[in-house]
Formats: sequence, C-alpha cells, structure tokens
Amino acid sequence: MAENTTITQSKETKDLLILLAQTQKKCGFLSEETLANLARTLDMSLSDVYGVATFYSFLSTKPLGRHVIRVCKSLPCHYKDAAVIIESLEKTLGIKTGETTPDGRFSLELTNCIGACDKAPAILINDDVHGDLTVDRIPQILQAYK
Amino acid sequence: MAKEIEVTLNDNKVTGAEGMTILDLARAKGIDIPTLCYVEDLLPTGACRLCVVEVEGSRTLVASCHTPIAPGMVIQTHSPRVIEARRQIVELMLASHPDTCLVCDKANICELRKIAADLDIGLPRFRTRKHYFAIEDVSPYLVRDMSKCVLCRRCIRGCNEIAKKNVLGMAYRGFDSKVVVDCDEAINTEACRDCDVCVSLCPVGALSKPRKVEEKRRGKVQVIKG
Repeated sequence: MAENTTITQSKETKDLLILLAQTQKKCGFLSEETLANLARTLDMSLSDVYGVATFYSFLSTKPLGRHVIRVCKSLPCHYKDAAVIIESLEKTLGIKTGETTPDGRFSLELTNCIGACDKAPAILINDDVHGDLTVDRIPQILQAYK
Repeated sequence: MAKEIEVTLNDNKVTGAEGMTILDLARAKGIDIPTLCYVEDLLPTGACRLCVVEVEGSRTLVASCHTPIAPGMVIQTHSPRVIEARRQIVELMLASHPDTCLVCDKANICELRKIAADLDIGLPRFRTRKHYFAIEDVSPYLVRDMSKCVLCRRCIRGCNEIAKKNVLGMAYRGFDSKVVVDCDEAINTEACRDCDVCVSLCPVGALSKPRKVEEKRRGKVQVIKG
C-alpha cells in the first residue's frame, strides 16, 4: 500500500482493503460512519465491510492511542512466553489488551505473526520491531515513546 | 451431453459427468457423505470440512463438496483416515458448542446432533471452550443465539444468494469469528420481514423463529452415546 497516495475515489470492491488502510492511516481508526460510507460507495453490504475491517489486526474499529503496541500472538512467540510479556505490559500500562491508557499514550493490541519469529517473543510499537523481549527491558523500551 | 469421466470410488469403477463434484457423484451412487455447510442450491464453500474424502495422490484430505471429479481419480469416502478426521472435526465443533441440547428448540432436528450420533461421538475428548453471546431477540421476525453457531455460513449464503438481501456477513478472525449484522449489532432489520431463508437453512439452533405459545417441538428424540 503506497504511502503517499491520496484516498482514491475507486468504486470497485477489490479496492476495499486499500481504501480501509488509507482511511485508517488518515483518521487513526475506522468509525461505523466511515465503514457505512465506504459500503455505500462500493455498493457492498455494511456487514461485509465490517467483516474485512475486523479480520485484519492492523485495522481498528475503535480509536487508538498515540502509540500502538502490538504483541505477537502466534505460535513461536507463544512458546517463548509471550503471555508473560503481555501480562507485564498490562501491569506496566495498567490496562488490559484491547484497551487504551486514559492519557491516550498507548494502546495494547494482539496481532498475528509479524515475521519476527527469530527474535521471539516480539512486539511491534507503531512500526518498530522489538524482539528477544524480557520483562526487565519493557519499561526502558516504553520510555522512548512519549 | 457432458463428457463421461471414469473414477474409482471405494474400489468400484464408476462414471460421472464432467463438472460433477465428488459429493454429487457419491450421492448419485448411493454413498452417504455427511455434510453440514453444503446446501444443494448454494455455492459450496468447504467451510465445515465434514465432507472430506481421501483422494489417492493428494497430500491432504479434500472437501468433496467443491472438488470436481477428474479422470482416473481414486477416491475413498469412508477409509479409517477419513472417519477419524470427520470425528475430530465434529468433536472440535462440540468443544465450543453450548451443552444446552436438552433445552434447545432444535434438539430433535439438529443436524450437528444427528451427525454426532451417526459418527458415534461420545463425551468430549478436548478441553471445552465455549463462547457465549447474548440472545438477540429484538427482531419480531427471528431470534439469533450466536453461542450455538457452528460457522457453516449457510445463513450468509442463503441471505445473499436466495433472499438477495445481504444482511449477514462474516467478521472477526479465528476462534472469535462470528456472523454479524452491520457493525455487529443485534439483528433487527426490516429486510428480514416475511423471509425465513436463513432460519430454514440453519443446521443448529442458532437461528429460530420467535416461539409462539403452545407450539410443539418437531421430530423424534435422538440419542447421543455417552
């Protein structure tokens, strides 16, 4: 998905994913209103558009914080104790997965494989990969994101 | 006239017309392959995997409902490997299915129960993990209990292909998958008026009509071995 393209005025169903990604980039999340508009322009049912929007972990249907932490929930990370990392992140941030801190600084989400299996357990903060995580390193990593 | 294709079905040489699926052929020859998501008039999706058969030379079992026959195919519809796979699929479905059969309106005519009984499935082997959703009974036209849904997608296809109303869609992913209306709202669309397509297609008790007073249950009592 090209970075600098403006939202295309496409009316083809096959462009749904690109349009969703662009809207997400522009607005930060996909509101019901946005999805309904998109469904109308593409002549699709809202259920189908919502289905695509909720299938992908990088698309969100609710507002996110300034920085989005995505913890890999796939098998290699799971075996390398991703659960401990999730627990520690939840404790540090004082939120549960799927929530945003009250100050809007961090959102904690789970994601499918991010291709960093060689450095499991791995997390993604915005676009940065942090691998070989230990509980001790977490506060230090989070400090870099204001 | 379509071209005739010769295949080996359960060690018998049989012929079928080109374009037939394995399931069509087997059913035409009187072989019963269980299905859940397959409905004759709807596009096959291969979602439930119950109709899997063994095809010689294929690495995996193939879903017979959407695999067309090819010349020289050697098919086994009831080999031990196939039966084991089918049983495991049903056991996994039951592992996330609520244990409310005794009080379920669909009890006697539930296809999942019938298939489970046919495959001789007893007590759960897997650790059960249920997903409970609130019963959606706001619509005057139908009641939805998504806890009982087995994700066969029959309602979605029926709604799109037969009723042509496109009310339902598939959302979320993996274990969280769910049939949704709009942005996951309780079903209450006026489009459902005078339309029973999804209700009549649902193999389990997930979709039903609002119960009328003194309505009787249908069908004979079925037994699941324990």
